[in-house]
Amino acid sequence: MNLKDLLSPFYVWQRAFEKPYTSLHPIEERPGAASYRGFHINVADNCVGCGCCHTICQNEAIDMVPVEKYSGNKGDSGLRPRFDYGRCCWCALCVDMCTAGSLRMSNEYIWTSREPADFFFVAGVDEKHWQNNELGYRREETYHLYPPKRIEMQMLSPEESVTSFDEVVKGYSKEEAIKEADRCIECGMCVATCPAHMDVPDYIRSIRDGDYEKGLQLMYRTNPFPATCGRICTRNCESVCPIGIQGDPIAIRWLKRHIVDQVDAKDYKRILNDQVGNSGHSVAIIGAGPGGLSAAYYLRKQGHAVTVFEAQKAAGGMLRYGVPSYRLPDADLDKDIEYIVSLGVDMNYNTQVGKDISFEMLLQDYDAVFLSTGLSVPSNMRIHGEDHPRVLSGLQILADVASGRDPGIGSKVAVIGGGNVAMDAARVSRRLGSDVTILYRRRIADMPADIEEIHESQEEGCAIIPQAIPVEIVNADDSNQVTIKWGEAEMVQDPKGGRPRPVLQEDRMHEETYDCIISAIGQGSNLDFLTKEIQEQLAIEWGKFTPGEYQHTPIQKVFVGGDVANRTADAISAIEDGHHAARGISRFLNPDAYTNSDT
Amino acid sequence: MNTVDEVLDYAIDQEQQAADFYANLAERAEKAGMKKILLDFAEEEKRHKERLLAVKTGEHELTPEQEVLDLKISDYLVEVDESPDISYQDALIVAMKRERAAYELYSDMAEKVPESNLKQVFVGLAKEEAKHKLFFESEYDERVLMDN
Repeated sequence: MNLKDLLSPFYVWQRAFEKPYTSLHPIEERPGAASYRGFHINVADNCVGCGCCHTICQNEAIDMVPVEKYSGNKGDSGLRPRFDYGRCCWCALCVDMCTAGSLRMSNEYIWTSREPADFFFVAGVDEKHWQNNELGYRREETYHLYPPKRIEMQMLSPEESVTSFDEVVKGYSKEEAIKEADRCIECGMCVATCPAHMDVPDYIRSIRDGDYEKGLQLMYRTNPFPATCGRICTRNCESVCPIGIQGDPIAIRWLKRHIVDQVDAKDYKRILNDQVGNSGHSVAIIGAGPGGLSAAYYLRKQGHAVTVFEAQKAAGGMLRYGVPSYRLPDADLDKDIEYIVSLGVDMNYNTQVGKDISFEMLLQDYDAVFLSTGLSVPSNMRIHGEDHPRVLSGLQILADVASGRDPGIGSKVAVIGGGNVAMDAARVSRRLGSDVTILYRRRIADMPADIEEIHESQEEGCAIIPQAIPVEIVNADDSNQVTIKWGEAEMVQDPKGGRPRPVLQEDRMHEETYDCIISAIGQGSNLDFLTKEIQEQLAIEWGKFTPGEYQHTPIQKVFVGGDVANRTADAISAIEDGHHAARGISRFLNPDAYTNSDT
Repeated sequence: MNTVDEVLDYAIDQEQQAADFYANLAERAEKAGMKKILLDFAEEEKRHKERLLAVKTGEHELTPEQEVLDLKISDYLVEVDESPDISYQDALIVAMKRERAAYELYSDMAEKVPESNLKQVFVGLAKEEAKHKLFFESEYDERVLMDN
């Protein structure tokens, strides 16, 4: 053995005192790049659970899971994305697609655990130290996978629209409709929110596919008034469309209208192919509005004989006598109604229950009764001088115009109220050539009318004076005129919560003379056709029915629906009430044979 | 009414009379659902009475210094008939106006008596009635003036 061999172990030891070539904690010293696509961050309070991240993920690495904190919020599915980091490939498509802009990625990329299940996590809900990281990947604000702006609708100009009762909205062309339909991400948030749960994503897809017949079939599954709702629906669906968070919501209402407009009424029978059998049961319906006729349609499909009693000379209820034709032309309303009636519904017009035929008689002669009489009685302001002959009701003016009568409003009118009836009465008055001032006791933002109606009324020249409280109506010098006294209001926060309340400022009073004052502050029900005994048996609160599941009442064979039985008082809710009541009536009439299949 | 107890007894009696008034109207009510609503009003008056009974026994104190919001809704509404076919709107107007009259009565009494414990009781009762008026006016604002 030579000396070198003998000393070699000591040479190795000298290495122990040199600077090491490896790092002791290499991963701590190498943060991800500033825009690295690392672990996900979700601002869960901003997320609405639309599930677009789940849909677009090519690796199926995202599941939507319920998170209790968010359940039951309007426009929120109550779900949040759960990531599976055994599958994620960090492509960031989920971030690019996120409609709410709540999802991004941190630059954090190190996570060790012995437990595989740990790598499933609900971002923004499960506590993670990178949740507040500022660095990482996020979509640039100007970059969208879908166009954020909706396709503009062609409309009459305000100058043109006030010269006639022609429909203001012209409707999409096929090309425009396809472009607008292309913006839909098919998340289905609209389905959950629509009172009738219409299959919106699928009928929008039918536009993309050019298959209008399928679109019509899909709509009739839950709504036999698509031409109407395509024009005047309150469109809860659009208010929750997640595309609307960072852009314009999909124009769902106009797309619905587009489908109906492409299909000729004479083809409905062939396309819808509704088979009407004979169950041997008979049902009476009181009121031929959207609630009554929706019930009629679905009851006929179940084979029940349906007889409708309507006090007016035509069907449609408020859709005909309350909604002006520039928003809903009679021809389009009739397209819906005529198809329903064509299924063999026995219509009895000019027939008032309680006068021409008693309610008790209907109870006796029919196996079930559906009552959907709406809200037809205008509310009174109950201020001094209200009985002045130049104080007119908004509902009456709309009915007059719908029936071709001149309501005789004069050339300068004041409209009291902020709901849709007030806006319609104001816009009708503009079309009749009047100068219009709308007095509303709260702020414009508090008006219950559709925001588009408010804007359009302003564009058409209606002046809105918000925070104006009428206090008295007195005679004017000219007996054909009337003077209103009103005071300014301050909005005061109610200590008990809720929206601010207007408080009259008695030192800021005004008075103005008009040719007429149109009162449109709300409407109530007229249930006088029911005897006191019947009324006591039916559950009624605040002048409205309080139906149970399937719209039933304490009187076994009586079902109720529509404005007189719900809080929303809009067409789509009435339509759903009618559909739901039809299910309830079928279950009641044939409890053994009835299955859970859709009616 | 020279003593605090006499004043409170009067006020308690007034609340009972109000409860009886609504109960009686409920018995005669003809319109759908009004019977229940008027009985609810009667219950509300009974709650007012209980509150004053608690004041009398010292379990509860009036709050004469409390500021109460005045919506001034009832001030400009017409008088309505207390008929059996009374509507919900009119029932609320009746209730608001009764509370307003009570508020004005106690306020006047407070004006007339010299600074004393008794005056504070009148002011406190007026504030109670103002709160009752606000309750019914808020109902009116919420349910009747929905579109307005």
